[in-house]
Amino acid sequence: MSAVAVPAGHRITPGGVLRSEWTKLWSLRSTWWTLGSVVVLTVGLGLLIGATYRDHDGAPGDAVLVALFGLQFGQLMVAVLGVLASAGEWSTGMARASFAAVPRRLPVLWAKAAVLAGVLFGVGLVTVWVTFPAAQRLLSGTEMHAALGDPGVVRGLFGAAVMLALSAVLGLGLGALLRSTPAAIGTFVGVVMILPQLARLVSYDWVETAMKYTPLNATDAIMSATGTSHGPTPLGALLTLLAWAGAALAGAAVRLVRGDV
Amino acid sequence: MTIEARGLTKRYGGKTAVDDLTFTVRPGTVTGFLGPNGAGKSTTMRLILGLDAPTSGTVTVAGRPYAAHRAPLTEVGALLEARSVHPGRSAYGHLLALAHTHGIGRSRVAEVIEAVGLTEVAHRRAGGFSLGMGQRLGIAAALLGDPATVILDEPVNGLDPEGVLWIRTLLKRLAAEGRTVFVSSHLMGEMALTAEHLIIVGRGRLLADTTVEEFVRSAGRDEVTLRSPQAGRLRELLAGPGVEISGGGPGELTVTGTGAPDIGLTAATHGVPLFELTPRRVSLEDAFMELTRESVEYHAQGVAA
Repeated sequence: MSAVAVPAGHRITPGGVLRSEWTKLWSLRSTWWTLGSVVVLTVGLGLLIGATYRDHDGAPGDAVLVALFGLQFGQLMVAVLGVLASAGEWSTGMARASFAAVPRRLPVLWAKAAVLAGVLFGVGLVTVWVTFPAAQRLLSGTEMHAALGDPGVVRGLFGAAVMLALSAVLGLGLGALLRSTPAAIGTFVGVVMILPQLARLVSYDWVETAMKYTPLNATDAIMSATGTSHGPTPLGALLTLLAWAGAALAGAAVRLVRGDV
Repeated sequence: MTIEARGLTKRYGGKTAVDDLTFTVRPGTVTGFLGPNGAGKSTTMRLILGLDAPTSGTVTVAGRPYAAHRAPLTEVGALLEARSVHPGRSAYGHLLALAHTHGIGRSRVAEVIEAVGLTEVAHRRAGGFSLGMGQRLGIAAALLGDPATVILDEPVNGLDPEGVLWIRTLLKRLAAEGRTVFVSSHLMGEMALTAEHLIIVGRGRLLADTTVEEFVRSAGRDEVTLRSPQAGRLRELLAGPGVEISGGGPGELTVTGTGAPDIGLTAATHGVPLFELTPRRVSLEDAFMELTRESVEYHAQGVAA
């Protein structure tokens, strides 16, 4: 069939699927808005808290957690970005085009997760590396003052960037699992933000132990320079966040392989 | 490349959307996939593309399931009926993202945008596109991999007359280039203009697998209805090669294969009285409606006057 010029050498490659997902992410305005907001909010709140912080007796605090207070909101925003990146495929119909182009499906999910995690780790690293020193200049003289060389600080800053990356992947996994933006955001808010608060009302030991391993408490623990009472160790926190993101992604993968698109 | 469906069946819950379909779509011609709404055309196309898995049966493109190809976009390009574009992304961004998966370059993206006439709006968000522009973007995506097989689901839906003409020309050109062109429609007239081969479905079942020419020949025959007190005698007189006679009510006959003038003359010659002699032209649409009547999902209820 000489009339049909099938382009030679074109085929699906992992690198190609990664580039595709990279293009998809950056060709949406919502990505720029979300990431811009995360940076501005984190830096802005860091400066605001640095400028207004006053020591008061007995209140425990952590030099990194205080400076990066804005990431509490940033975490939700990047999770929403993750949800939009996956559930948005179904809500817009784009999934049909995406999975017709890559009918084995799973490479799309892995590439999405890799691109999102990489971008959020990079953006997170830059953000915390700007925010922390800026906030700390304002915090000098208070109990919350810390330098980069102090124990646990660099680890906490890297932890913050890892936390952002894994929160985005958790959102991505939930979005691909539930295929609905509102359902996935609702689940994230419910499990990550509200459940640990509710669980405080229950005073069984095992509940308290289990609550250590919720994403919210693991988030505090991975960012903290000095450790938290309500969360696991830094390594435990990393494993906890990996497990949550991994579980959501695995659930999404099973549904993707087993079901119709 | 040939599309082959063998016993293809898809059930969603208790509802059978595609029911034991077996057909072959061959290269070099436009094959029309015809059926009323809800006949299972879109589902069949989703099954071909591997978006849905069949409940039973198989469908292959060029001898393999679609998902088994290393470069599926160069095998099959598809325009699905439901919009498959993120409204926040530009036409260019959409096509570039799809192109990257296969290592297809930017120049090819620009080429297909040019080919469908979207160059001027390529960097505008697709959400603002009209129905026609959206169809053109979908066709650009289908052509991206220069595929050997092109599948289009209701491509003329929502297009203006110029767009319809453009699609017709495009389909014929693609087939002339040796590609397999499989295009669905619920409009018989549209298919008669573009397709050479027809696969007709209703309620998920295969109703006919034929050429347009054959369908026209068998369906387009004029029918004459007559009433006579001596219908039995007339039946004997009219019988001949190529003439088909069926009885209606008492004293009523329906005749195909001979015209009203001949029937009238025969009756006069033999002194058979005629009470009624009504020629009826059977259009393609009528023939299609007749074929699919049993399988239309929702009939408009006749309202008694």
